[in-house]
Amino acid sequence: MHRLKIISGHLSPSSGSSQDRRDLWRTECGSGPEDVVVVHGLRTAIGKAKRGAFKDTTPDELLSAVMTAVLKDVGLSPNKLGDVCVGNVLQPGAGALMARVAHFLSGFPETVPVYTVNRQCSSGLQALFNIAGAIRSGSIDLGLACGVESMSLRSIGNPGDLSSRLVDNDKARDCILPMGITSENVAERFGVSREKQDAFALSSQQKAAKAQTSGLFQQEIVPVTTKFVDDDGKEREVTVTKDDGIRAGTTLAGLGNSSQVSDGAAAVLIGRRSAVDALGLPVLGVLRASAVVGVPPDVMGIGPAFAIPAALEQAGLTVDDIDVFEINEAFASQAVYCVAKLGIPLEKVNPSGGAIALGHPLGCTGARQVVTLLNELKRRGRRAYGVVSMCIGTGMGAAAVFEYPGL
Amino acid sequence: MVKVFRCAARHGYAVEVSPFIPNRVACAASQYYGIAGCGSLLVLDETESGLSLIRSWQWGDGLFDVAWSESNEHVMVAGGGDGSLQLWDTANHTAPLRVAKEHTQEVYSVDWSQTRGENLVVSGSWDQTAKVWDPALNQSLITLRGHEGVIYSTIWSPHISGCFASASGDGTLRVWDVKGGVCRLAVPAHNAEILSCDWCKYDQNIVATGSVDCSMCVWDLRNVRQPVNQLRGHTYAIRRVKFSPFTKSLLASCSYDFTVRSEEPKCGASLTERMDGRSEITCSLRLSSIIHTCVASQLIDRLSDVPQVPHTHTAVD
Repeated sequence: MHRLKIISGHLSPSSGSSQDRRDLWRTECGSGPEDVVVVHGLRTAIGKAKRGAFKDTTPDELLSAVMTAVLKDVGLSPNKLGDVCVGNVLQPGAGALMARVAHFLSGFPETVPVYTVNRQCSSGLQALFNIAGAIRSGSIDLGLACGVESMSLRSIGNPGDLSSRLVDNDKARDCILPMGITSENVAERFGVSREKQDAFALSSQQKAAKAQTSGLFQQEIVPVTTKFVDDDGKEREVTVTKDDGIRAGTTLAGLGNSSQVSDGAAAVLIGRRSAVDALGLPVLGVLRASAVVGVPPDVMGIGPAFAIPAALEQAGLTVDDIDVFEINEAFASQAVYCVAKLGIPLEKVNPSGGAIALGHPLGCTGARQVVTLLNELKRRGRRAYGVVSMCIGTGMGAAAVFEYPGL
Repeated sequence: MVKVFRCAARHGYAVEVSPFIPNRVACAASQYYGIAGCGSLLVLDETESGLSLIRSWQWGDGLFDVAWSESNEHVMVAGGGDGSLQLWDTANHTAPLRVAKEHTQEVYSVDWSQTRGENLVVSGSWDQTAKVWDPALNQSLITLRGHEGVIYSTIWSPHISGCFASASGDGTLRVWDVKGGVCRLAVPAHNAEILSCDWCKYDQNIVATGSVDCSMCVWDLRNVRQPVNQLRGHTYAIRRVKFSPFTKSLLASCSYDFTVRSEEPKCGASLTERMDGRSEITCSLRLSSIIHTCVASQLIDRLSDVPQVPHTHTAVD
């Protein structure tokens, strides 16, 4: 196009001095060698908890599958990793032991460290924030951010040891509300009708079914071969390549409008741009902003409505500048509220469906959303921005802004 | 103090301070960095608390420049990507008073003459021509040909009647005599595209140019074999240069490198002000000729931005 050509010419003139000029298309949005960039990311299929394909698979196996595959895809030796952080919610101590076991099952050397993080539903994204922070502080150059959850083998239940004084403090008491109640609170307080919730949930199922049928998830799912005990008690080996929560033929009548309880894992390789360039690794995305904010615990689902604006402001962007929003569908009520509150056009939200259809393996979800988002932007091809966000139990929201640099 | 006005999905292209109302600016803006889509013309008033939108109009193609009438406080002329010039009136909420479509490509610059007894509009276009119009835009009075590249900037001399300067993608600065209908001077000013030029308000022979080669040159038209000064502060193409209305030797510039600078060429290119920390390309700026301390600048990704910059330095002549 003529106009594009002329205006581009202002940035990269064909004549004149060009000896020590950087590539402006990169620096135009503040790109530089210190950027935290995403190299590659993969996830397992997501299985329905206690019934699905991973009901008999331990989380270290799921985690090991994605850790290994991400490095193998880009041909990176694990000893180049400065650190590995794993988001996990339900394992004892957020799965610190499980993560180190997964690490060795993946053939990673003992010299590479690993740790886990638990910020409930945002743990997978928090793992990425933690690795990004370590890169920014100069502690490491490259790291692996993961998330994993087996909700088949562990359930939400034991709240741990809490002071009896919690009942005297409204906010503290609200922290032990079941998530379903907080979802009802959002629906009631902000007037999100049952019809709107159901329509949103149905659309999530339909989008996911369409994405699955057209093979969109193939590029982000690593097949996992594992054991599966069938109804007759017979153990057999299966290779899992497809999300099993998606219900193609679902209708408004037979619909669930909260996220599914699931098993799954995801891993994202990130690094400082200078280190990534030096190793000749590709750049799939650039982390432009990250924010976590607190909200009232009794309506914890509104978290994205506050975290997304905070992240956008950091990035110097507005809702209009974002092409795709991956907003976790913990509950249709809170997702509908956040989307409406921020004025996001529905077609920009979870274009391949969300947790209502795919499932929500707590510690994995954040990392899974990053993988899904960057693959979606990559399919679209043009340079664009995307947002990953979710609400967090006990009243928080997290959001990240990524830039896909274009083909 | 920086006052910011943001307009969703519009990228600022030009900002002009009203010659009648000191706190009023007009902004020409486009969708998608001006590469495709629609345009908007906005009139903003600076208030104590910020910038308030007085009027806005939409146009079917990007708008790249705007100029206020020097005789009627309500009237502006804007140039658009469809090759049209439009005459807008703040009293008229819906449509332009007149649309003149003669240029065959993008109109990238418009300017309203300030010399006494003259009331003309000049437009510069990517069709490589400049046209001079009567203030009602009835039809062009003359079409000036000579540039061998797109025209980015056309600015009337504040001293010489019927004279304007133009900056072009062909790397030349030209000075035109409208009465004679000829180009009086062609200066091969840069080895790269020239995006902007401006006249010194205190010396009729001095013109500044800003180029894609990241440099700004100050020319004395009596001897153009070499520039009287060359300023190399920016790291990317210079989008606009403006001489101070108050200080003979003060020059402000804005660039694709996100910065706005003001410099005193005569004291050895010393940088006097630098407004930084912008996260977007600065596309336009305007020094207020009424309020000494006001600079309006504009970011290509955000609409308009009017920082108050106290000018603490004095002129060095």
